[in-house]
This record gives sequence, structure tokens and C-alpha cells, in this order.
Amino acid sequence: MTSSAVDPQQLEQVRRRVMLALFVALAVALHTVEVLLPNPIPWFRIGLANILALTALFSYGIQALWIVSISRILIGSMLLGSLFSPGFLLSLGGGLAANILMSIGYKLWQPKIGPVGVSILGALGHVTGQLLIAWLVVIRHPSIWMLLPFFLLFALISGIVNGLAADYLLGSLYKHPVFSGLKKIKTDKSQPSV
Amino acid sequence: MKAIGWLKLLTPFDRKLLLVVTILVALSFLLLLRQTSGARVVVSADDKIIFVAPLDHDQLVELPGPLGITVLQIKDGAAQVISSPCVRKVCIGMGEARHSGDLLACVPNQLVIRIEGDCEEDGEYDFISR
Repeated sequence: MTSSAVDPQQLEQVRRRVMLALFVALAVALHTVEVLLPNPIPWFRIGLANILALTALFSYGIQALWIVSISRILIGSMLLGSLFSPGFLLSLGGGLAANILMSIGYKLWQPKIGPVGVSILGALGHVTGQLLIAWLVVIRHPSIWMLLPFFLLFALISGIVNGLAADYLLGSLYKHPVFSGLKKIKTDKSQPSV
Repeated sequence: MKAIGWLKLLTPFDRKLLLVVTILVALSFLLLLRQTSGARVVVSADDKIIFVAPLDHDQLVELPGPLGITVLQIKDGAAQVISSPCVRKVCIGMGEARHSGDLLACVPNQLVIRIEGDCEEDGEYDFISR
């Protein structure tokens, strides 16, 4: 096969690019499917696309998390035709806040924290960011913050669900030979940095 | 037992984080309950809210309408219109509003004054049987 002659570092880089592209594509698909699902509570979403962002974070690091989630928001909104609408702003604000919290959580407690922990942080950040944008842009009325406890409760539940799904996905992905070189690189990098 | 089986998948750190976050969410609910227990006076004119104040803070408020200034008195947990530029003074005759959902209106001066919140404490009647 051709891959036997390739420099292993270059191979790893190509694998990383291909996997990230796949993660973005899957995340966009989940994002779109979720909008089509009937929604009993307005504004509330499970955030299934975050499963892929979490998977990217735990396999390729913080940069990959940002690539997957920002591309997902941009491409997903473009597909749904909501790019630059108020709904897109809510989505972007939530995504940015979620990413910031997830990055901080991952950076601070990296070997100890699992996908569920990061997912909970992300979900809470997402609703808080969304509400902040909603308050700034859509409804400039302080009583909107009275919604926050309910949002946080739902976010907690969906965060746990997404985290468990990402945990399961990571578990089965690591069995695949494509990720065999990855674990080595990941452990090599994490030891000096911590 | 099955319902908590998923907890075993979490790392010990995740479990601690989950506990802390759950407590924070519960606290936010407590904060919300405490905040809503104080009733508010909300005045709207022409479908726009022009004035909001807590009902337990005594004050006199001058509310501008198309006819002139309507004076609203908030005292001892009740709101009452004490002077109005309108002709028939129906709003003054409506007396006091003190419970959640109570309404005072001055139609000629286009003002609607209502009490919001406080529903947990005097919930003997629902909206229909009021």
C-alpha cells in the first residue's frame, strides 16, 4: 500500500484533517436534523452536534473543538437559511460561550475531566451565552433572566446525555486503527504540558 | 439501580463537577423563587411598559398620559390612583389593587396598572374563580 512509504507524522496530519472534516459534516447533519425535530419547549435544543465537538476535543485538542463547532454553526445556519438572523446570533453566542467554558475546563483539569464533565460545562455555557445574546439583542428586559434556572436545568440534563454519547463514541473510535497513532501522540503531549 | 448505572461511566472528577453544578442549578431556582415572591406594580401605556416598581416600597408616582399626569400611590402593599385628569374618575373609584392579577385602568388617559408576581402567597383563587 502507499501509506507504508509515508512519513508517519504526515500521515497523522492527513488523518487529523480527514477526521475533522468528517466530524464537521456529521455535526452539520445532526444540527439540521435537530431543527427538524418537533420541539416542545421553544429555544430548547439537545445540542446533539456538540457530541462531535466533544469527540474532536478529546481526540485532537482545543483547536479542533473550535474548528468543529464554529464551522458547524456557520455551515449549519447557511444550510437552514438562518445565517446572520437573530436565531444565528443566539446560536453563535451560545456556541462561543460553550466553547470558552469547555476549553477552560479541559485545559484546567485535563487528565481528570471526562467527556461528561466537559459536556455539562458546555451546555451550561451555551444557555447562558444564548440568554445573554437574547437579552442584548432581542428582548432588553431583565425579567428574561428569570428563565435562566429552567434553561440551566434542561442544559444539565442534555449535557449529561451528550457527554455520555460522546464517551461512547470515543470509546468505540479508539478501537479503530486510524486512532492508534493518536493515543501515543496525545499521551506524549499531555505529560510535559501538565 | 439501573437509573444511576450511567454514573459509573463518569470519571470521579466528573461526578464531583456534576454534584457542584446540580447544587448551583438548585440555588438558581431558589434565587428565582425569592425574587418572584415580591409583587410588582407594572404600568403600561399604549402596550408599552412605562413603569415597574416593587409593591412593598411606598411612593407616589406621576404617570404621563395623553390627558396629563395621573398620580399613582403605592402604600402598604397596595396601589391606588389618587388623582387623574380624566372626566369620570373611574380609575380613582376602582380603589386599591394589591393581589397578583389585580388591575387598575384609566381608559381616557390610556394607562393600565396591574400587579404581577406574588402568585404563590395568595393562590386561594385561580384566574377563573377570582
